[in-house]
Amino acid sequence: MQWKRITAVTATVMLAAVACGSPSSNSGKDGANAGDAGTAQEKATDATAKGPAPELDGAKKGGTVSILADVSPDTLDPTNIYFTDTNQIGKLMYRALTQYRLDGDSHKPVLVPDLAEDLGTKSADGLTWTFKLKKDIKYMDGTPVKAADYAYAIKRSFAHDLYDAGPVYQDEYFKDGKTYKGPYGPNGANYSGVETPDDNTLVIHLAKKFDDLPYYAAFPMFTPIPQAKDTKKSYDLKPMTTGPYQVDSYTPGAELKLKKNEHWDPNTDPVRYQYPDAFDFKFGQDTLKVQRQVLASNGPDANALNYSDLDSSLVPEVKDQSQLVTGPQPCTTVWGLDTRKIPMEVRQLIAKAYPFDTYRKVAGLTPKSAIPASTIMPPAVPGYEKYELPGLVGTGKGAEDPAVASEVKAKLKELGKENFELSWYYANDDKIATQVTQLRTQVYTSAGFKVKAIGVAKAKLRTFRNDPAAPVNIGQGPSGWCSDWPSGASWFPVLFRSDAVELSNSIGMLQDKTLDAELNRVNGLTADEQLKEWPKVDKMIMEKYLPLIPLYYSASNYPVGKNLGHVINDPTQGLPEFTSIFLKQP
Amino acid sequence: MTIGSPDSTVGIEEHPASAEPVRGSAVPHGKSPTRVAVDRLRKDRVAVVCAGVVLFFILVAVLAPLLTKIEGSDISTFHPEFVDEYGFPTFAANAQHWFGVEPKTGRDNFARWVYGARPSLVIAFVATLSGTIVGVVMGLLAGFLGGWVDRVISWLVDFVLSLPYLLFAIAMVPIVESMRGGSFNLSPEEQASTRFFVLIFVLSFFGWAGLARIIRGEVLSLREREFVLAAKAIGVPTRQVLFKELLPNLVAPIVISASLALPAYVTAEAGLSFLGVGLIEPVPSWGQTIATATNWFKADPLYLWLPVLGITALVLALALLGDAVRDAFDPKTRR
Repeated sequence: MQWKRITAVTATVMLAAVACGSPSSNSGKDGANAGDAGTAQEKATDATAKGPAPELDGAKKGGTVSILADVSPDTLDPTNIYFTDTNQIGKLMYRALTQYRLDGDSHKPVLVPDLAEDLGTKSADGLTWTFKLKKDIKYMDGTPVKAADYAYAIKRSFAHDLYDAGPVYQDEYFKDGKTYKGPYGPNGANYSGVETPDDNTLVIHLAKKFDDLPYYAAFPMFTPIPQAKDTKKSYDLKPMTTGPYQVDSYTPGAELKLKKNEHWDPNTDPVRYQYPDAFDFKFGQDTLKVQRQVLASNGPDANALNYSDLDSSLVPEVKDQSQLVTGPQPCTTVWGLDTRKIPMEVRQLIAKAYPFDTYRKVAGLTPKSAIPASTIMPPAVPGYEKYELPGLVGTGKGAEDPAVASEVKAKLKELGKENFELSWYYANDDKIATQVTQLRTQVYTSAGFKVKAIGVAKAKLRTFRNDPAAPVNIGQGPSGWCSDWPSGASWFPVLFRSDAVELSNSIGMLQDKTLDAELNRVNGLTADEQLKEWPKVDKMIMEKYLPLIPLYYSASNYPVGKNLGHVINDPTQGLPEFTSIFLKQP
Repeated sequence: MTIGSPDSTVGIEEHPASAEPVRGSAVPHGKSPTRVAVDRLRKDRVAVVCAGVVLFFILVAVLAPLLTKIEGSDISTFHPEFVDEYGFPTFAANAQHWFGVEPKTGRDNFARWVYGARPSLVIAFVATLSGTIVGVVMGLLAGFLGGWVDRVISWLVDFVLSLPYLLFAIAMVPIVESMRGGSFNLSPEEQASTRFFVLIFVLSFFGWAGLARIIRGEVLSLREREFVLAAKAIGVPTRQVLFKELLPNLVAPIVISASLALPAYVTAEAGLSFLGVGLIEPVPSWGQTIATATNWFKADPLYLWLPVLGITALVLALALLGDAVRDAFDPKTRR
């Protein structure tokens, strides 16, 4: 899953208050316990979970929760949702076949049936999955949900020319996934991958075994969509919702207002609640401004939250630690090295020279939101095994140490790669990005490399990075990855198989037949066997290919208003779990 | 009204200086308005102090490399050891870092402050100079030649004044970058310098039009005066009439407009950099520093106050000096 998209927001923080006489060095140390990368999530399932979800202590009905987001989602179309924040917003509106229930104090995610009666039954050969569907489910306008609507939603997900941002596992695993192009073409109605033998059964045919399908079925992509109401690209303005809330008004990029869906039946839903009367999302806000507002919790701001990590400059302003929600995120941030353009020996030297310590400070990473990483998979992914390769532990001075710099320089000379050119894109209108680039340039120049950093506008950065043919050799593709579901299968095949290069998902642009074969072999194993194999693959990739430098595992650390109750971190996405929030004083 | 410089021999007798107090017998002839104004300025205490402040900032900017050398630091070295793991500086100021260090990066505040004076002053002075030259030439031509030249230039002035200045400043950057070979082929330093020159260009481009209009008006009234008509009648070439006869009479409006433009440009540069469309890293500038420092104003007030103080003092001094200059040149001012 990709990270919530960061859109350009010019810093226009006002000189609102006058500096008080506090000393310049900080007071952020109190209560500074390192962030929590979490422990491995087990693949827990509960196929018998039934609604309604148990009442929460002290929960009250009513009021409006406002969510002040500094990012602006591109789309709320269920088929096109792939970012963690839209996924979480989608959970309020769209019910899918399955869903995660967060159990206990550690909020352990457990996969439970949502609109399906169970978690699906697979055939003996593993290529046919049958989902029994719940009866008497209604859309927000009162019309009944039909099995055909589920099938239509799946067909719709193949129309990548219209929905280019959504997840694409169906292409690989579903029957005819590589050839079927969605329901809109001349032959669109005929797709043999889904069947609806009766009105509460959905059958999915696969091209190859996909034991994680019930997890995949938790994506909003699997929410029912009635064909008659499909308005294609503008569907997200007035989507047919099955969850506890429906769209009241939506101005893309600016505001989303949700109101209650009266036809949502809590008795069918084991996960969601419907405490507040409405949700009001405001997008594209100024990060520092809204975080300060939320922390101050004056008037309506007490009912607000922001889901970006608290800016380090605001640490001294946190008076009440309970206003910070912390928890693990299943994400790792990395610095990709193009294996096609940089030889292995040079990649090792780049990793050796990386100035982790200074990078963390310059980039504003705090111990609470960024835990030094040494592996590709973060600890939150099942099967994670910690290993540390020398120099790749997420901390250290790298070539800022003159001894290391001269050592790297000498080795480059030995290899005949003096002044090896490193090039990457960065956002030249983002101050942090330019400072990080300055740091990297200084350090790598001192270590004998030649650096060419190409500044582009922040708004265009993603387009440039996603071009596999870009004329740079560092940092293409995603700059980090989050689990799509708790398994290495949503990491390694997606990121490191040859076909990932074409899909702009590749980190390191690996196109290696041996690695492809190994990834396919592990991917074909049973879930339990995979659990043991993925960490080995993790280590093998880092030792043998080094397609990336792991920088940090991210952890949640976001500010919430004082009047919000039961704001918990959803460890499957690293965001607040919106559906269980209530107002203490509505 | 005098013509030419004070030591010129032309028409001394016919033109006693109008705003001039009665001079002693030792003074052989009238002073020019410029001389009068300078004399007045010298007596104006505010003007002298302000000139001192401006001179101080000019010296700081010119001597920036020397000053940082004395302090023993530079603008670009990162000092992570001086900030804690949350990015806050671990000390306020010490002997090695007189003004402390920047949060997160640990770069030296003093070095960035003295170097930050440079773009402000260079941009303001260069933009004022080029804007004034263009404005004066255009105004002279329009006013003196009249006819189609006047119409074209006046139209141009109106056109420039109607252009949206902020949009222009933002839109120029990518255009100039692509002219210099596209952003792909430019290093961060080259991109930053592009912004620098674009800022100068934009400010002078929008600065000349107002002045041209004022000069044109002045020239219109001057060109019907006897001395101009006489010069024309005896066949003095147009160029000479413009620059030898008319220009000396325009010194006052030119000096006034320039001295008022300077502080405006300093503020404009800082404002655009604050908004992120002016100068960018790695060029240090006060506007940028203020933009970042506002996030840290509680933890590191010095980081914010230094550039704020710099801009305020410089702009205030320039503005008061401009006022004093205008007063000094204005014959109606009585002291």
